[in-house]
Amino acid sequence: MRTFYLTLKYLIITLWSLFVIAPFLWALSTSFKDFNSVTGGATYIPWLQFEPSLEGWKVLVRSPAKGGVDIIEPYFNSIFVTCTASLISIILGTLAAYALSRFKFKAGFIKNNDITFFFISQRIMPPIVLSIPFFLMLGFLGLLDNLFGLILVYIVLLMPIAVWIMVDFFNKVPQEIDETALIDGCNPYQAFFKVVVPNSIPGLIVAGLFCIIFGWIDFFFAFILTFTEVQLLPVKIVALNSSVTPWWSLSASALVSVAPLIVVAFIVERYLSKGNLSGALK
Amino acid sequence: MNFNHKFVFLLPGLLVLIGILIFPIVFTVRLSLSSWDSFYPGLDFIGLDNYIRLFTDDKRFWESFFRLSFLSVTTVFLQYIIGFSLALMVWKDIIFKRFFRVLFLIPMMTTPVIMTVIWRTFFHESLGPVNDFFSLFGITPLWLSNNILAKVTVIIVEVWQWTPFMFLLLLAGLLSLPKEPFLAASIDGAGPIRKFIYVTFPLMAPISIGAIIIRLIEASKIMDTVYVLTSGGPGTATETSSYYIFIKGLREFQIGYSAALSFTYLIIMIISLTIISKLLVKLLIKKI
Amino acid sequence: MKLVTDNLTFKPEKEYFLNKVSLEFEAGKLYTLLGRTLSGKTSLLKTIAGLQPIDTGNIIFEGKDFSTIPVWKRNVAMVYQQFINYPHLNVFDNIAFPLKQRKMKTSDIENEVSVAIHKVGLLGFEKRKIQELSGGQQQRVALARSLVKKAKILLLDEPLVNLDYKLREDLRNEFKNIFTSDLSANSILLYASTDPLEAMQLNGDIIVLDEGEILQSGTAKDVFENPTNIKVSEITNDPAMNILKGSIDSNKIILNENVQFKIPKHVKNIQAGTYHFGIRASDMILDDKGFDFNIDISEISGSETFLHLHQNELNIVLLIEEVKNFNENDKVKINFNLDKLYVFDGKGDLLFSPFKMN
Repeated sequence: MRTFYLTLKYLIITLWSLFVIAPFLWALSTSFKDFNSVTGGATYIPWLQFEPSLEGWKVLVRSPAKGGVDIIEPYFNSIFVTCTASLISIILGTLAAYALSRFKFKAGFIKNNDITFFFISQRIMPPIVLSIPFFLMLGFLGLLDNLFGLILVYIVLLMPIAVWIMVDFFNKVPQEIDETALIDGCNPYQAFFKVVVPNSIPGLIVAGLFCIIFGWIDFFFAFILTFTEVQLLPVKIVALNSSVTPWWSLSASALVSVAPLIVVAFIVERYLSKGNLSGALK
Repeated sequence: MNFNHKFVFLLPGLLVLIGILIFPIVFTVRLSLSSWDSFYPGLDFIGLDNYIRLFTDDKRFWESFFRLSFLSVTTVFLQYIIGFSLALMVWKDIIFKRFFRVLFLIPMMTTPVIMTVIWRTFFHESLGPVNDFFSLFGITPLWLSNNILAKVTVIIVEVWQWTPFMFLLLLAGLLSLPKEPFLAASIDGAGPIRKFIYVTFPLMAPISIGAIIIRLIEASKIMDTVYVLTSGGPGTATETSSYYIFIKGLREFQIGYSAALSFTYLIIMIISLTIISKLLVKLLIKKI
Repeated sequence: MKLVTDNLTFKPEKEYFLNKVSLEFEAGKLYTLLGRTLSGKTSLLKTIAGLQPIDTGNIIFEGKDFSTIPVWKRNVAMVYQQFINYPHLNVFDNIAFPLKQRKMKTSDIENEVSVAIHKVGLLGFEKRKIQELSGGQQQRVALARSLVKKAKILLLDEPLVNLDYKLREDLRNEFKNIFTSDLSANSILLYASTDPLEAMQLNGDIIVLDEGEILQSGTAKDVFENPTNIKVSEITNDPAMNILKGSIDSNKIILNENVQFKIPKHVKNIQAGTYHFGIRASDMILDDKGFDFNIDISEISGSETFLHLHQNELNIVLLIEEVKNFNENDKVKINFNLDKLYVFDGKGDLLFSPFKMN
């Protein structure tokens, strides 16, 4: 019976693992194909089943004028927007989370929990609901097709995540630590920056990672609010897809685009195994 | 002592959020009372006409909403079952534990639309590996252009993409469980199945509810995948509410009407998510 | 130098945290706040530190209104019952933190910190991380950090309660020496405790708090000898004083039909009626000529034995200063040391004490 369980367990793990890596392997294989290898039907193993070609990878670094796929600029755009929006969200979100965790607020029937819920509930808002007014608002502000316009929108997407994780985290840091800092001569801001922040690094990292993930993977707002001047990576790749589809360069650029966040998976796992995440996520 | 420092901490974030959001929300409501479209752009006032049209004469919206409900409930259910199973499997010691944990997390780190572009080639009806496999049995299912199979494909892609998120929340939950109840159950001679039913599952109920609700919220926004994979097709077979509103608003430029759709959709989402959370709490907590 | 609290009241919800607390503290003295958990001890300390708001009342220190001065400028020091230090700093930096905050010169800081480290016996631990220390050592760090500031008001909130018994005894003596030798001449020391024994050993003035209210304040001796009412006697005695309901009739004290005795000499001119009689567990003895009681429970604690006894409706706890074994339901004969009898009136206020009342 025990062996049966064990076999079943490893069978499921193996099957799921295969499912997880299948699209990556397929994309990797496709990225080394050329026109003939793609249109000849599904093949998987280079040299054995098809003659590998580096064309798909070469176009990534070629200039657009020479028929290259220009993903370098969108790449940096994406990094810039994601990091800036995450940073702002973390700073503002952490400050707000600290206030909500430590002080009592009351305005009529509105109390701390209601304010926290207001922050977090922004995740419930379907992007489409905001898209049209955002489109008009950014157009009015002259921020359409502009990185800063996108950053503004991403703050709405990411700050709720930062508040959600940090409120929970601060609730687990004993309040007496901040009080001791006050007694030891810190004003509330010094207490926050000199004592609370240094002791909240795991929470800040987890919140940061989540902001980066959810910023990096957004497509919808980038798709609606930018056109030609600035393009983010996902929009660029999808645009490749809808034009004439050279699968090899599509696959290569897709792999390059998803690569950086796979590093995040390793960091998240480290925190998970150390037990830091269990405290920060709940 | 002056206790007003608290506002210095709270207000920057709160005001930025409200500042960015107040205009879009108020404006959506106002737009929904206008007939703004590509021929007559402008904020005229037509009362509740858009809402009347929505409730009496728009089968497509309601169909897209029920399709969305079906898709999100199905995917989240599958994600929960699979995510929980995987989390349980790599919770305790197995070989290559950390390797599998990383591997199982990876899909959620990848950009959905970009992976969907890959999935499109994966499910390609003549050139993709899936049908390469099925051709062994002499069949070539039309993954992207058959009414039912297109839904199945969307579900497969969504499950691939977001099961890791469920897995992450549930594994983090499992790792934070106290050890004592398990010791007690062992002393009482409970086997693994009884331990799961009487100890693990009840202890995980609150975390499960949280994870399911978070995923339902996110799943209710399904749109990117649909846009790239099937563009809502074939016909309207995979059209979700968001995608339908997108078509009305930013493809047909019926701005006023799509604002009414948006606002109604938001209200329905809030109400149904509240009901679902209450139901889940009753269902999972009450049994214990 | 004087710290005066005037009519402090704080009632955030339904219950009072502080209820009209008016006290005077003088420099060079040690005050023990004695009360159960949630009696308002921590509230009072936090209010003095400036960490907690108050609804009404004033705090005056050195003739100035303290309540307008924010915490970080008050120059108070506080040690919590949880071992609170800065987890991200090592021992040295923890202790140096308040001095760095004052922008003191680095060489001075090093001197001050090494003196404090020496005093609390943490020599050689300077570079250790807080997490690598035992509970007792962590509390020593917290104490050193509060000493190094040379604060005029030192607040200690049950600093030893989370330590194990032996360590608590050792540290208590050590702490007391540190305070008395070092600080007391020009600083006010407030020590909160739930433990009457600790309060007696510290031997300062005692302030008995309950539900945010001051029940009694005075020297340790005074509070111990003359608890103003039954409540105080409960808080200041461990084991609690036996409070027995009874009556006085024709020159006799009647606890029930069997247990009756003569009115002792220090109880004078008392009228007939019902009263509460108090007698400490140590003020009764086993005596073959005494009253019959049944043993409910017999427990041995250290070198003492506690007997929980009853006779009909009368329940008492008796303390014997030696280890003796008894069986449950055995019968014993006991007698009361009537010279140590307290008499409280129907409302619970003290009428007669075996000690001189002032």
